Parts: sequence; structure tokens; C-alpha cells
Amino acid sequence: MPQDRKNAGAIFLIVGRLALAAVFLYAAYVKLKPQGGMGWSLGSLRVSLSMFAMQVDSYQLLPPWGVNAVAHLLPPFELFLGLWLLTGIALRFSSLVTALLLSGFFTGMVRAYVLGQEISCGCFGPGEQIGPRTLLRDGTLLAVALAVTIGAFLIHRRKEASTGPASLPPGRTV
Amino acid sequence: MDEKHQFLIETGPAPRHPSRHFRSAVFLAAIATLALGAIAQAAKSGTTTAAHRAQGQARAAKSQTLPPIDEAYGSKGAPITFEVFSDYSCPMCRNLYEQTLRPMINDYVAAGKVYLVHRDYPLAIPGHQNSPQAARWARAAARIGQFENVDAAFYDNQTSWATDGNLEKYVAAAMSTADFKRVQKMMEGCEPPGPTGKPDGINLPPHPCSLDPYIEQDILAGNQVPVKGTPTFVITYKGQRYPPGSGFVSWPLLKQFLDSLLSQ
Repeated sequence: MPQDRKNAGAIFLIVGRLALAAVFLYAAYVKLKPQGGMGWSLGSLRVSLSMFAMQVDSYQLLPPWGVNAVAHLLPPFELFLGLWLLTGIALRFSSLVTALLLSGFFTGMVRAYVLGQEISCGCFGPGEQIGPRTLLRDGTLLAVALAVTIGAFLIHRRKEASTGPASLPPGRTV
Repeated sequence: MDEKHQFLIETGPAPRHPSRHFRSAVFLAAIATLALGAIAQAAKSGTTTAAHRAQGQARAAKSQTLPPIDEAYGSKGAPITFEVFSDYSCPMCRNLYEQTLRPMINDYVAAGKVYLVHRDYPLAIPGHQNSPQAARWARAAARIGQFENVDAAFYDNQTSWATDGNLEKYVAAAMSTADFKRVQKMMEGCEPPGPTGKPDGINLPPHPCSLDPYIEQDILAGNQVPVKGTPTFVITYKGQRYPPGSGFVSWPLLKQFLDSLLSQ
């Protein structure tokens, strides 16, 4: 039974982090991909990011310079976060960052929904209206990120208690 | 299993609370149920949307025989077409008009870069009962080339007429007496309520008037987008239609997007 429990926890961490990695890599891709039948180029990237900026702006939370900063930094950061989760390096930190980011998204979406703003979510590209379905999906992702974060921290603490951090092989961390 | 987790399994301490198995299983089952529910709902929604789009296309094709009455600003030859589906009572539509479309009209429409098309999408929701009638007045004004004045008058005075329903006052103030009489004549027999849009089709009025087919045509076009709320805007550049946007967008960010298209 103890071995089963360890296996279940480890499998959940792997599946959870891979699912989150896939979600963030896909989210970055759809924000950066060319729109309107264009091919990949710097120009198409500019169009895609400008379009994403309009979606961020529709939340009416930030001034134009803040919207531009978020719109231009978020997709590359999502790409980085997806790759970080994929590698599994320092999982407790990558999952914590993921959970914090998803908390921010979820709060913004709930606020927009409660205020009756009929706007695009902007989560996975344009044209996806905020509604119960998008809230359920993002809420589920947040729950998974929180569970992975808690799991990664618990395993790290347990490991430190039993073996001590000095006994970890070089480059290994959870 | 990757090497790191194998390492953890081998070195981790023995569990102290076996009941956590059950809690983990319940948690995983809950996540799986939520995910399956979301997927099922998405599939159902996709099927319904496809059916509605097909219905809309059929009705739109039928109404293509109407002589055009454009509610638009600028030249049709502009490289960018900006269509906005709007409800005259919607506060966000007013904000979009006042803060974004007005500077766009004065700048990019005037410069021949953008052709701005107003599409009526009056909503059947509380507080919007005067929207269909406003759409009729605007359409009648468009017939004699007075759309721009009436469009501006309705947004500028939205809070007033949306409450008391006195649309005529603002239409009359937006044009000459002779023009107003012509518009009034077109509005004869146009008793409220007028047509309204809904996601799965259209609410037809009990007493239709001659201007209604134009509004219905816009609503059906909106259902094909699909419009899920107002304002919704669709941008077309060099024949390529970009994914629709909805809600408010500020002029500096819209301008940035238009510039990125024009620089292609």
C-alpha cells in the first residue's frame, strides 16, 4: 500500500505537470501564430500580438502601456513556463508560478463575468467568449496547478526530512 | 516514469495516513468528471452553433435581394473594413463609439484607410426595449444619407432616450425639418417592438415595418459571426477576415492593430 500511494502521487505529479505544460505551450502558440492567412514572419507576429493586446484591453484593467506590456510579455512567458514544466526542473517553483499566473487569469475572468463584460477570454486566441464553460475550464486548470504545487512541496519536504538536501544527487530537485 | 520521480519513490518515507489514497482518488475523479463535462458541453455547443449558422446562412441568402441601405462611414474602397455589431442602448457600445470609433472616423476613415460599417444587433434584454426602434430610425435616416448624424445623436444621448423612449427628439435635432419629415414618413407603421437578435436566431416583431428586413439581415449576419454580445467587431483586410473581437477596445490599441495590418 505505501508503494501504491507513492506511485499514485508520482503519477499525478507527472500527468499534472505534463498537462499544464501542454496547456501553456498551446496557449503561447495560438497567441503567436499568424492570423488572417499570413505566414510566419515578424510582421505576422506584430499583427498577432496587436490582436492579443486588444483582447487584454477589453478587460479594462490596465492603461494602454500596461496592456502592451502584458500582451507582448505574456505569450513568450507562457512558452517559457510550458517548457519549464515540461522539463520538470524545480517543479515546486514552476508549479507555484503556474498556480499564481492561473489565479490571476481566473480572477480577471470572474471579474469580467460578474461585471457582465461580454468579452473574449483571450486564453487560447481570439473569439472565445467568457462564460461558464471557460470559467469551469480555467478553474479546473487552477485546481490541477494547486494540487501539483502542494504535491511537489510535500514530496520535497518529505525527502528533505528523510534524506536531507545534502544527499540529493547534483542537479536533482523537486 | 521519469528518473527523478523514480528516485523520489525509492527514497520517500512510508505513508502515515492510508485514507489519503481515497482522497486522492476522489480528487482525480472530480477533475476527470469536470474535464469530461466541459468536453461534452463543448461538443454539444459546437453542433448547435453549426445548425444555427446553417439556418442563418439560408435566411441571409434570402434577404440578399434587398436594395442596399448602408449604415457606414467612409469609402468602400478602403483597405480595411471594420464592421461593428451594436445595440444602441448598450453602454459599452456607446463607450466604443465615443472613445474609439469617433477618433477612428476622424482619422483613419477620413484618410481612406478604414471603411466603418454599423450593423444592427438590438438585444432582447431588460433596459434595451427602445433599441429596435432606434435601429429603425437610424435605418430610415440612412435611406436619405443622414445616418452619421443620427448615429452620433443616439450614442451622445443614450441615457436620455433609452429611459424615456423619445427618439424622435434626437432624430429631429440631427437633421433639417424637411429631412426629418421624410424620415418620419418612412417610420409610419413602424410600431414597437422591432426585431431583436438572439444567439439561435431572431425575434420577429408582431407588427413588421418596411425597414425591418434590413435590421434582420444584420442580425442574421451577426449570428453567423457569431455575435455573443455587443459590441462585437469584425475586421477584414485584403479579403482576409480576422477573428471577431468583442467588448471595448481603446483607440490607441485598435490603431496599433490597424497599423500592423497596413504595414503588411
